[in-house]
Amino acid sequence: MSEFSTCALCPRLCRPACPVAVGTGREAATPTAIAAVLVDWSRGRASEALAREAATLCLDCGACQEHCHLHEPLPERLRAARRALRPVRPPPALPPLPPGEGPVVVERIDAGAGALAPWVAARLGRPVRVWSAPDGLAADEAAPRDRAAHLAALAALLAGAGEVWVGHGDVAEALVAAGVAHRWVGELDPAAAAAAVASCRCGLGGAPPLACCGGAEPLASHHPADASRVGRAVGARLPGPVRVVDGRCLAHLRGAGVDVRWFTDGVGESDEPPSTE
Amino acid sequence: MLAPMMPLQASGVDASTAEIDLRAVARDLWPRDTLAWWLGGAPPRPDVVAWPSTAAEVERVLAAARAEGRRVVTYGAGSGVAGGARGVAGAVVLDTKRLDRIGPLDPDRWTVDVEAGVLGEHLERWLAARGFTVGHSPSSISCSTVGGWAAARSAGQFSSKYGVFEDMVLAVDAVAPGIGALRVGEGGEAPPEWMDQLLGSEGRLAVITGVRLRVWPLPERRWLRGYRFTDLAGAVDAMRALLQAELWPAVLRLYDPVDTRIGGRTRPKKARRGPGVVERLRAAISALPGARERLLALPLSLPGLLNDLADGLASGCLLIVGFEGEGEVVDASAAAAEALLAGRAEDLGPGPGERWYASRHAVSYKLMPIFEGGGFADTMEVAAPWSRVVAVYDAVRAAVRPYALVMCHLSHAYPEGCSLYFSFAGRGDLNTYDRAWRAALDAATAAGATTTHHHGVGRLKRAWATAEAGPAIAGFEALRAQLDPEGLLSAGGPFGAPVAALPPPPPPEPVDGLVAVAVARPGGAEAELAWPWERLPAPPRWQRAPWQVGWTEVRGAVAGQPCALGRAPRSAAGPDLRGWLAGQDPDATATISTAAPGPRWMGIGRPPQPWAVAQALLRADLRPAVLTVVDGALRVGFRGPAAEAFGRIAAAQVPGGLAPAPYEAAPLPAGPLEPAALDDPAVVWVTPQGALRRAAP
Repeated sequence: MSEFSTCALCPRLCRPACPVAVGTGREAATPTAIAAVLVDWSRGRASEALAREAATLCLDCGACQEHCHLHEPLPERLRAARRALRPVRPPPALPPLPPGEGPVVVERIDAGAGALAPWVAARLGRPVRVWSAPDGLAADEAAPRDRAAHLAALAALLAGAGEVWVGHGDVAEALVAAGVAHRWVGELDPAAAAAAVASCRCGLGGAPPLACCGGAEPLASHHPADASRVGRAVGARLPGPVRVVDGRCLAHLRGAGVDVRWFTDGVGESDEPPSTE
Repeated sequence: MLAPMMPLQASGVDASTAEIDLRAVARDLWPRDTLAWWLGGAPPRPDVVAWPSTAAEVERVLAAARAEGRRVVTYGAGSGVAGGARGVAGAVVLDTKRLDRIGPLDPDRWTVDVEAGVLGEHLERWLAARGFTVGHSPSSISCSTVGGWAAARSAGQFSSKYGVFEDMVLAVDAVAPGIGALRVGEGGEAPPEWMDQLLGSEGRLAVITGVRLRVWPLPERRWLRGYRFTDLAGAVDAMRALLQAELWPAVLRLYDPVDTRIGGRTRPKKARRGPGVVERLRAAISALPGARERLLALPLSLPGLLNDLADGLASGCLLIVGFEGEGEVVDASAAAAEALLAGRAEDLGPGPGERWYASRHAVSYKLMPIFEGGGFADTMEVAAPWSRVVAVYDAVRAAVRPYALVMCHLSHAYPEGCSLYFSFAGRGDLNTYDRAWRAALDAATAAGATTTHHHGVGRLKRAWATAEAGPAIAGFEALRAQLDPEGLLSAGGPFGAPVAALPPPPPPEPVDGLVAVAVARPGGAEAELAWPWERLPAPPRWQRAPWQVGWTEVRGAVAGQPCALGRAPRSAAGPDLRGWLAGQDPDATATISTAAPGPRWMGIGRPPQPWAVAQALLRADLRPAVLTVVDGALRVGFRGPAAEAFGRIAAAQVPGGLAPAPYEAAPLPAGPLEPAALDDPAVVWVTPQGALRRAAP
């Protein structure tokens, strides 16, 4: 029996909570319909392409699990399904680490997250080095052997870098997988970070790194009508303006048109439009 | 990532032909289709899904479908359990979920406008933030739409107080392929009698795009209690007594002995630190490959034995009684109910009622494991007058027990009868499922029940609903010829090929609180009428309060063929054709509600603006049997064991008070009526929403 059976057989009771289902109005976007496709895929009655399409509808916001009286961990199962369904891609190239000494701040500016480095430097009271992480740093879509080699290279690159500061969930997940010790930028202003966690529901599931509303695909990559409607549904669930501690959240929510800022006012705000990768 | 939408054939409305979208709308929650899917089948798939976001876009979708020669299936949240929104090969599915606007709320009139695609949970949350509720709380509230409620004539768990859904509707906006946009009810130009048929038309006459609903302030107080009866018949009689005492409980739920036992409903759940032995054992077995499917297979394969075991273990049945509303009225009602039930049953205190209330929306979670276990689970809701309730219960259980474990609870109670909600779980293929249903519906209707109470007709029950409507279907077809002459709108229900003709419902008995009268001369009844309308039909529902019943059953002839509609206490087997039938036959008869004998109280006062005061009494949760103004004097009358208590509450709220007077019933005005200001000297009637005067001829 598929791990998605319970959700697939449910009378769609969590649908009022799902921002994608509510925002788009599309029956296919309800957690139940997604689960039904994955059950069919597990039974050979749906193609892998269809299963991938269904699994990437989820924003990973956890609202369905929260709403469900059985607290079915559908988001976690969909995350695993997406990993299993992703096409194989080579790991990204790793840019060199800037020379010098001092703490390293790992940025993801091209994801629309804005620049953290100046703020971190001000808090630490000393200069920092900036390392711009590429998209897909965790190499989830790479073949297992390639991924292992990539993570080993990442660990070697940042070994001896001293303190490594991170403000983006994708980066944090990669560093955890690579076994690289790092610190979360929220530690530099715990009060503001705690307030942001409360405002953005990041408390759901525990401490960062996590990406509520991060999902598998940036919202901006969806059809514009869908993305704006989902963004409105997401924004309706979050008391605004929303402050986040995770750059992944910032990029996705901003791409959906939600009024969102870093957890300390004005830090790292970028005028660059979010990436559509 | 979702496939991009594309315009539907020059309509400009967002649409999709992607497989992922078509799969999702190919079925609703009809358990037969769920079973078929689980066994490897698939329902017919439509060709395209469209998402109109305005009534104008709905018109464009219908026009585009006509141009392409496609039928149209309307799809809300797909929560119907009768296959009404099931896929139709080649059709356009008109998904209403982008008709999702709520408002405006009129806090002075207690009304709200809401579009058809709004989910029930979202509507209630929106209203609650503003201090109001619709009072409609089906167990599907989080997965059903307002449009679906209207199309299928839904009823919620608190219907005994707030009414069934058609009691809540003040106006309907719809788009019909034959005539375009229309509005019926308040502010509408369409003939008022169209409302009777649009509600319950299940997508066959028009696409409902929005409704105006009456709302109520959030209740100030809620009182819940459980009572254990030794036998079902005694409990049913207690339900009847409570409703006919005019106490208007919000909730009255009676679980049969099997449901009471299996649900553990009379015992509080023990607090545990972790899973118990049974849960750990179940989890361990479930973890074994293939074991979970087999866990339920054996017992479900032996339904006869399972039913016998359940009967053997059962002892007693649980009645949950609940009141909610204004504090004083709740207190008076609850006190009278406690007195009425004293000596009839064991008082279990508030626990059972409060536990039910806390988990009242969780019942649907219990069905999934049965399908996962290789079985099927389904529910059947019928309704019967009090004199037939036990007979229907016995007949259905006897008919279904060879196929499935069956249990039942009674709810949605009226002064005239109640709904019987059977749940059954069995194992087998689609043939077993079909045989179980055929046996159940044949038994229920033969014993005097109506085909359906609130789940709609769909494909599941359309044969029986068609037989129940009989020759009155001509009325439906006549309206359909106007609204959808080309037959564009396709849905599973409500009518199709009939089963063999149903026997007419048996005549009412005294316990049913009904009396037969000639429609042309309702005043000829010998009994005291509960709602003595000047003539029949009574004013349309939006011009009377939910509890002010018009008629129940109408009998007449269509082209010489006898016809009986509206099986007591409420038949929602498709559109309401009673008014049409009465209009066809000058000799038509109707059964109307009688008032139970018992205490009466009346008071007379002379407050300024008496009709405004009258409306205030209705808004204070009082339900007078008499509420009228004669020669400037406000006359307020109550019936039942709480009559004097209600009278005291009313008197305290009337400026200058109410002086006790001999009780005297007053005729209720019939139509046509039109809205009026509360201080208009021509006012003859008042509802919680406003005042009415006689319309100019």
